[in-house]
Order: sequence, then C-alpha cells, then structure tokens
Amino acid sequence: MTNQVNVLWWTVARSEEVTGKKPLSVDIGDQPIVMWRDKQGVVRALEDRCPHRRAPLSLGCIRDNGWIQCGYHGWSYDGATGRLTEIPNMKDDQRFPPLYKAERFAVAEGGGLVRVALDPAAVPPAPTETMMPLSGTAHVTLDQAHYVAALYDDPGLLLDIRGVHFTPYLMSELHEEDGKLVMERSCQWKHLHWPAPFSADFPITALTRSDPVTGETELTLRDTDFNTLLSAVIAPVPAARGVTAIRWRCRIGATRPGFHAKLLGFGAPFRVRQTIDAAALRTLKPSASRHGEDLRAAAAA
Amino acid sequence: MPDALERPIESAVPTPPAALNSVNNWVPHRLAMRDAWFPLAHSTGVGPKPVRRSIYSQPYFLWREDGKAVAAEFHPNEHATRPASPLTGGTGRYPVMERYGYVWGWFGNPEAADPAHLPSLPFLPPKGGLPGYMVGTVRFDCAAPLSLENLIDLTHADFLHANIVGDEKSESESVEVYSTSETVTMVRTCKGKSVAPVMKFFSGIRQPTQDIRQVIHIFLRSHCAIAYGRFSPGDDVPLFHPCVPETRDRTRLDYAMNTSNAGFMFRHVMPKASYLVSRQDSSMTSPQSPRYMRETKRRDLHSRFDAAGQRYRLLMQDLAARQAEGDFAYRDNVSADCSDIIGLRKELFVY
Repeated sequence: MTNQVNVLWWTVARSEEVTGKKPLSVDIGDQPIVMWRDKQGVVRALEDRCPHRRAPLSLGCIRDNGWIQCGYHGWSYDGATGRLTEIPNMKDDQRFPPLYKAERFAVAEGGGLVRVALDPAAVPPAPTETMMPLSGTAHVTLDQAHYVAALYDDPGLLLDIRGVHFTPYLMSELHEEDGKLVMERSCQWKHLHWPAPFSADFPITALTRSDPVTGETELTLRDTDFNTLLSAVIAPVPAARGVTAIRWRCRIGATRPGFHAKLLGFGAPFRVRQTIDAAALRTLKPSASRHGEDLRAAAAA
Repeated sequence: MPDALERPIESAVPTPPAALNSVNNWVPHRLAMRDAWFPLAHSTGVGPKPVRRSIYSQPYFLWREDGKAVAAEFHPNEHATRPASPLTGGTGRYPVMERYGYVWGWFGNPEAADPAHLPSLPFLPPKGGLPGYMVGTVRFDCAAPLSLENLIDLTHADFLHANIVGDEKSESESVEVYSTSETVTMVRTCKGKSVAPVMKFFSGIRQPTQDIRQVIHIFLRSHCAIAYGRFSPGDDVPLFHPCVPETRDRTRLDYAMNTSNAGFMFRHVMPKASYLVSRQDSSMTSPQSPRYMRETKRRDLHSRFDAAGQRYRLLMQDLAARQAEGDFAYRDNVSADCSDIIGLRKELFVY
C-alpha cells in the first residue's frame, strides 16, 4: 500500500466489538491487525504478528495492566507504543532495545465506530459525537471496490431495510458535494403498489453520501415531506482474500408518519446482507459507479 | 447532512469534445440541453402538496397555490443548506407554465423563458382534460437521447414490439426525414403491412394488411416527441412522448395518447400498451445506456434505415456544440402549429 493509502482511516470495528477481555482480529487489505482495549479503555491496534516468532497476537490475551500478551511464548506489548514490555522468566532484566516492538497503528474512536490508519502519524479524523444505537458486522465475498460500485448501482443487492424497495430511478445522480459523492435514489414501500417503472411518484428516497476513497457511506431514508425515517452509516473495508468487511450503525428517525415508516421502529429494521445475489450482480448495469470513477479521476487530477 | 444539490448552471452543459463530433461515436450521456421547457408532470398530478421532479438532478418541487402551479427549488419543509441556483435567478422559483394537460418547467436561464419556446402539440387540448386512461407514466433507466433515438428508429418496432404493432412484412416501405435546428421529423410509409395485433384484437380489423403512415417529430431541446400513426384501415393514434432527463441516464416519460376518435375498446386499451412497449424498449435501452457513457473509438455501424436516427444524433450534437459556445437562441420556432408537418387530420382534433 502506498503512503497515501496508509493515512486513510478505515472503520474496522464497532466499539462493542473491541473489549479488554479478548483481542479482536481484523485486517485492512492484506495487513492483519489486532485490537483491544487497554486498562484505561483506550482502543489499541498493533500488527497481528508477534515480532518474536510471527504468531498472531490475536491468539493471545489481554493482561490486567492492559498489555497484550502473545499466546505462544508470552511476550507482552504496550499498545500505546507497541514496545515489548515483558518476556516471561526474564524476571528483573526487562529492558529491551527500541527495535523490540510490534508495529503500531493509529486509532480513533467515535460515534460507536473504531477507525484505524496504518500510518501512526495520520491526522486524526473529525470527531463523531452522535451514537447510533443499532449496529452490526457483515463479511461478504466481494472485493471492496466492486462492493462500493454495487452500492452505487443497486443498494438493494447489499442492504435490507425493512419494507423498503430500492428502485433503479434517481432523484439525483452521483455528484461531488463537500468532498463526498452524493446521490439520491427513489424507493418504494414493499407492498402491493403500481410497479416502479410505471409510478409517477415515489414515497421515499435514499440519500447517500460516500467518502470517495474509502467508500464509507452515510445513508438517509426520508419521505416526501423530508422526515428522516432512518439514518445509517455503512463502512465497507477491504479485508484479506478479496473479502469486504462491513461495519454499520443505524438510528431510526423520531417522526415516522405512515404504517410502513412506523414499522421501522421495531426490532432490527436494517441489515447488511452477508450474501449477495451473484446472478443479479453480474448483470447489474454500471451507471452511478461509472460516474463515481469519473468523479474520483477528476478529483485525483 | 445537506439535503439537496447545488449545481451551477454551467455544470449541466458539458462541452462535447470536438473530435467526437461524429454521429457514429456520439456520447449522448454528455448531451445536456439548456433553455428549454420540460413537461414535468401531468396537470392532474399536481395539487396543493408538493411533488418532486428533477431535470439533470436539479430538484423541481411542484404544487399549486390558489390553483396555480408553481415550481420551486426547495421543498417547503426543507432546511435549505445552499443558496438558490442561477436556474431560478436566485429566487428559488422556476419559470413554469401549464398547457396541454402538463405542468412545464423551464430549465435554463430564467430570463430566457418564453411560451414561444413551448413545443406545439396540436392533438392535445390546450387546457388539458384528457381522460385519465389516456395518460400515464413510464420510466427508463437510460439516457433520454437513447430513448428518443429508439423512438425515431421505427424499424426496431417490427422486432421488439412485433406482438403489439405487427411484424416487418410489408409490400413497400419508405422513410423520409426532415429537420430544422430544433426539430427532426421522420415519416415512414408502409403499404400492405401486417395488421398490428393490437388493432386486430381491439379495433376489430379483419383485413390481413393495412397501410400506415407513422410520423415521429422530435423537439430536440425539450427531449419531447410526437409519435403519430395513421392506420388504414384503423385509427389515428397520436402520442405525446416526452423523455425528461431526470438525470443523465434516467428518463421519465409522462405520456398522453389521444385515442378519442377510436372505438371504445381500442380507445381504452391502446394507451395502456405503453406499459408493455416501454418494458420491451427498456430491455434494450437499459443495457445500451452504459455503453454510451464514455467516448469510444469503436464506431457504430448503420444502414439506410437509420437515416432518421443519424440525423437526430447530428442535430443534437450541433445544438449541444452551439450551447457549449454560449449560443442558446432558438433559430426555429417550436411553438408554431406543427399539424401540417406531422400530417395531423385536424378535423379529428378540434379544440
């Protein structure tokens, strides 16, 4: 990965997933990462590889003092610096040269999401204060670039919002707005209705704002009176072997007039699909995703 | 989160590369017209509550105030996070007019809005009032120019719509093409053509063949077309076929087919054939559209039957090139009565 990529912040976990009890294994592309919370509750991220004998640190444990300990020979590391702090049985001679450390990554936590940048000196992202109560994690066997392209072209292949049918019709095509790629898609409630290709008006739209590089997307479902029915953030991260790991959080709007909008308030109305209809994906026409390519190319130029 | 778009007026008119100014490798995705009236909604679809439309992603909210249609850039409930665009002259309200049973919104410089630029539709009552079964909405997920090119190329109908309008068999066929800087007209005359199944079943035509005269008349800038068929034996079927570019690759078609002069069954059924025909067209134009998004060195092939489509491509490119240079003037009148051009039997459509 280039340095430019290394300073990107990837949402690799939800806050609930990172604990002080058990290390969490995630990855950004081919880079394995271990995460945990130290004694102060701060999330730490190191390369998931013990510099001693290359064992995954995520197979180890978290010590009471917040260090992570390799499960193979018990070497311990401080998450704040990555420095080796202890080798079992060395008793009093626990001073190690600076070279004795695990690779450390930058971490930022906010809004119930944990972001990691591979460059420890990456400029921290803007803090996110609002916490969306519903959340989940999904892994799909589709690489991240194609996943984001499908999100632009037909979000219905990837997302399941209770009672919502994403139509192919747009109120606004993908365009750049304040550094984000924004589009608005017309949606219908799933019930007996006039087919979308013959409908004069649609009751709801899905407004999406995506980071042009990471593809992290804020989705707002709103009705024709501009009531926000549901807000979500969807973070697709490239993982090993072409897998995409998706973390998401969601919040239901306070004002939801109508039967179907009210139904969103019960149970789990938002889901990121773990499996994708490959036959439908294969024949999905590239449209918004091409605009995305053009917009990214223009931004790069 | 910002609610809507702010698109400067210039952004809707990308400059077509000069090297691509050729009909066989055109990029319709890049052709956007300015200073035109677009039929945004059937008049009956606009009431006191705002309905939303868009032209090239630019939002249009339509509703009535004291019975009069208005077109606004912002929804009344919207917290505007951007100033009103040049398309409304900073007022937030677009020029709007109502005629032929449609609410028309102006897209372009609001000071240039003039009823003289409204397309002539002599077979529709100027004050509207067609029965509901003669109007409807269909949508295409393709660029609007592709949808219009599909329409003006009637030879596709013999294959794609054979189960509705009949197969390709006829004793003779001729195609004539006429144009101005703002319109293109195609007249197809067939003698002894297989009777359209829809007429066989719903108009009770028993003869095996019929003579037909079909006219497609496109108003380039407004992306609107008249499709007028005269069938003998058979009926006169004039269709208003607007292709509003909601985005560069999504098209909205609020059609009106005036079958007032046809028999009871045909009068009611034929307008609804649009639902079937549009899906058949969409099955081709939808996969076509992504292939016309970017320039390519591979040129389309064509035959002599494509003369009208070729002319349409050429005229659209000419108009876009003029607009790219800042020339938005109408060199030909689009609101003058086009009855003679389309060969309308005026006695059937007196308003």
